[in-house]
Amino acid sequence: MSERDTAPAAEAGPNGSDRPEVHLSVPATPEFVRLARVTATGLAGRAGFSIDEVEDLRLAIDELCFSLIGAKGRGGRLVLRYRLEGRELEVQGMLEGGGEVTPRISEWSHQILEALVDEHEVGWSPEADGSNRGFRMLKRAE
Amino acid sequence: MATDPVRRAELRVKFAEFAADRTPELRAELIEAHVGLAEYLARRFGNRGEPLDDLIQVASIGLLKAVDRFDPERAVEFSTYATHTIVGELKRHFRDKGWAVRAPRRMQELYLRIGKIISTASQEMGRSPTVAEIAKEAEVTEEEVLEALEAGQAYRFASLDAPAGSGGDESGDTVGSQMGSADSGLVDAERRATMDPLLATLPAREQSILRLRFYEDLTQSEIADRLGISQMHVSRLLSRSLAKLRTEASAGELPA
Repeated sequence: MSERDTAPAAEAGPNGSDRPEVHLSVPATPEFVRLARVTATGLAGRAGFSIDEVEDLRLAIDELCFSLIGAKGRGGRLVLRYRLEGRELEVQGMLEGGGEVTPRISEWSHQILEALVDEHEVGWSPEADGSNRGFRMLKRAE
Repeated sequence: MATDPVRRAELRVKFAEFAADRTPELRAELIEAHVGLAEYLARRFGNRGEPLDDLIQVASIGLLKAVDRFDPERAVEFSTYATHTIVGELKRHFRDKGWAVRAPRRMQELYLRIGKIISTASQEMGRSPTVAEIAKEAEVTEEEVLEALEAGQAYRFASLDAPAGSGGDESGDTVGSQMGSADSGLVDAERRATMDPLLATLPAREQSILRLRFYEDLTQSEIADRLGISQMHVSRLLSRSLAKLRTEASAGELPA
């Protein structure tokens, strides 16, 4: 990677490495939020994010993950899906096996997320029927 | 922990006795009766890279202080009072040790080196460097750069500030009254109405960093410049403040 300074943009790579997608499933407790962050920043590094952007991303992932698992964590698993496309990183998060949870964030968190990422939606659902609510965010490298 | 009412009443009597004549025997007995609480709280702070035994010891010191300082005249349960004191002791322990004890030395050094690279590069290029650029300059991999940055964040106060349901502590953390001068900026009144009361609970410096980042939309590097501190320091303070506010905000809401 180090031989190029720019993002590994839309070149074709083997096994979809040009558009890497990473799935992470961890216990839905605070100590595993770190893995969620590290995975995000690892991908952001590949996309050519600046340090300021990486740090913003880190804060955003914290806010979003805690919106799902709560300050003390809960049962079940936190499942994250990261998709990197060019200089854009999309992260989707949801809970599995912990019962139905309606993720909520404070007005304050919304404000913060607005400043940190390009798009965010808490209460987003991957399903057509709106079940299994989680979050979705997107951040672009400038 | 004394949970049954009879035992609790007994202990209350003993505290009153101890307050009057402060015999070492009584003191030892009161401490002994609450060792479980200290251990419980120490465990709550486990998983942060500190040996549990050390934490139990720190918690025990908190317990000693609590027993010595507790005033049975006050309308507060000893366990509530002690929880507050013990958690305070544990937090101070983590604060004093910082991340130094947990991050391997190599990572600490890399972290410091990266800090210098970031500030030099930002000045030279007039923008925040990318991870790849930092890695190249530091002659390490991008993963190592990110790992070092993460290690630098090692002390996170998210749940440190939300310890075991200590609820209803009457001594209450002094809510900073230093609101700082309301600076203008781009933010609308609505946003401020939401944020200001929360901000007021933070130390002045953290307040001003949050204002600069979220009211005035400066980047972390720009804030670092303006305040004459490193970008990394800004980053650490920001994540700490946000973690605190998250706890504050959720405490003010209905249980999820």
